[in-house]
Amino acid sequence: MDKFEKAFNDIIEKDLKVEPRDWMPEKYRKTLIRQVSQHAHSEIIGMQPEGNWLLRAPSLRSKQVLLAKIQDEAGHGLYLYSVAETLGISRQEMNAQLHSGEAKYSSIFNYPTLTWADMGAVGWLVDGSAIVNQVSLQRTSYGPYARGMVRICKEESFHQRQGYEIMVKMAFGTPEQKEMAQDALNRFWEPSLMMFGPHDADSAHSSQSMAWKIKRESNDHLRQRFIDRTVPQAEYLGLTIPDPNIKWNEETGHYDHSPFNWDEFWNVVNGNGPCNQERLDHHKKALSDNTWVREAAAAYAVKTENVVA
Amino acid sequence: MESGDKVWEVFIQKKPGLAFKHVGSCHAYDKKMAIQNARDLYTRRGEGRALWVVPADAIVAVPLDDSEAFFDPGDDKVYRHATFYKTPDGVKYL
Amino acid sequence: MDLTIKNNEAKFLVRLADTSLILGQRLAEMCSNGPFLEEDIALSNISLDLFGRAEEMYKIICDIEGNNFTPDDLVFRRNEREYFNIKLVEQPNEDFAWVIVRQFLHDIYVQEVYTQLLNSENSEVVGLAQKVLKEVRYSYIHSKDWMERLGLGTEESNARVQSAVDHQLKYIEEIFAFDELDKTYLADSDQLRSVWENDVNATLAACNLERKEIMPLTMRDFRDGFHSEHIGHLLSIMQYLPRAYPDAKW
Repeated sequence: MDKFEKAFNDIIEKDLKVEPRDWMPEKYRKTLIRQVSQHAHSEIIGMQPEGNWLLRAPSLRSKQVLLAKIQDEAGHGLYLYSVAETLGISRQEMNAQLHSGEAKYSSIFNYPTLTWADMGAVGWLVDGSAIVNQVSLQRTSYGPYARGMVRICKEESFHQRQGYEIMVKMAFGTPEQKEMAQDALNRFWEPSLMMFGPHDADSAHSSQSMAWKIKRESNDHLRQRFIDRTVPQAEYLGLTIPDPNIKWNEETGHYDHSPFNWDEFWNVVNGNGPCNQERLDHHKKALSDNTWVREAAAAYAVKTENVVA
Repeated sequence: MESGDKVWEVFIQKKPGLAFKHVGSCHAYDKKMAIQNARDLYTRRGEGRALWVVPADAIVAVPLDDSEAFFDPGDDKVYRHATFYKTPDGVKYL
Repeated sequence: MDLTIKNNEAKFLVRLADTSLILGQRLAEMCSNGPFLEEDIALSNISLDLFGRAEEMYKIICDIEGNNFTPDDLVFRRNEREYFNIKLVEQPNEDFAWVIVRQFLHDIYVQEVYTQLLNSENSEVVGLAQKVLKEVRYSYIHSKDWMERLGLGTEESNARVQSAVDHQLKYIEEIFAFDELDKTYLADSDQLRSVWENDVNATLAACNLERKEIMPLTMRDFRDGFHSEHIGHLLSIMQYLPRAYPDAKW
């Protein structure tokens, strides 16, 4: 073991942070790039299902809140792309990997948002599950990622509340609104739980990531924490969790639940969800329709700032 | 990186009198755009009163290989810290 | 619900509020469709400023009208002919050049309007104008910088921005066809035009863009609730939920 590897191992062991210019094993770097870029892409693709309702938000307040939230997601995507850039991959390369299917994003964003209640469910369940994961990642071993998570968690604290507020209004609103709320919960419950990833035993990258302290808590552990927090929130709303086996278990101190439909999960991950194609096409189109804008900006900079293109 | 799209490091001063602090980076094609993008990305919640952007490639860092040579010699110069010195009891304002 | 605005000052202010709202909605359409993410965030910021500005202005209007209706009523329950925005801001986002040109032409106009409103006798309006001027200043810098980048960038960007200018200048003439209300509530409506003309002419020249002669068009005045066809589509999307579920609260 050379002195660099030893230094790296020391950092991990002592719970310190690895910084961009430190030596790190190539696989550590690759694992991080994969995870951080997937996280970044999720923020960016996640703008679309919410953007679907932005123009139809039913009050001035909800319109501004939703726009501010989507804007935060763009910002958080950028923070995360910056983190990945410190590991030696450019944003353009990450976009190329996204478009080729090599890089993934969270499968939840391949589901359509069908009613306004979905804006509630997305904030409450999807952001809720993301926050549980991100709070845990504040202690990740890569310094820029950990600092990014701290900033993101701080800014996202309003996102889940915004979603729950919509759920409250819908669940206690007209019968039609309550029906929309229940329907949204029905559709987003299981996909939100699967956001935490496969069970620990089936997770290809998990054990090494835990050893390197990239991940601090296991998928199943985080998922259970989310379920335990969320079930009482659904009860308050008077909505039914779409799982007949959700039950408090005195012995374990957790809620029990049914097995998940992993076939659907993998099918959506592999590109066959309801909106996979639309999400990627939208992203590609925004970039390609505006190639001329970026070319103009580059040409202008060359003319005015004496930079080399 | 796409032609012309540069990375800029962003520094924010929270309040007058405080040091500028590195907060992250952003992309932009020119200086004016870099300032605007940094403002929109890092000060949406009133985090700063003043802002610098610096082209990332203008930052020079100590090479990893040399870090011991650069920083270790500072470790044993304890006389540079105020706590190194004893002051007699009862003497104030030192 | 009767949403007729009766007070003269409120009638004048609703033109500004509607202009802000409709442009905000147009910019919100750009969310996740910008040339790069940083610009998405910039346009969202400006859109948020516009929605916030509209909401504050509607509050002032509701106040003047005796609070028989709310800002949300005004936004979601009025039909096309009850909207009084300038036609410029309802023009669609054909491409990024259209977005920038529309914003630029709007920003110069609004900057001078709110500067003049600093002299308003209504302290609420003065307070709002002070806040708005900071926002508009930033938006103006942003749109003007982009006018320069696109005008001086490449041949293609120059052609695109020129075509946006050619189209959108058609909707300018009505802005300066001031009526008695404008003349009452603006400190100096004549100056509004000269400030606007000077800035536009100087900027176009500096950006290698032409200002072509535009034949006077017959399109009737926004002050009487006349619009281009685009407004109906914009409103039908924006107002869908409150119209479909009139009893629901959101």
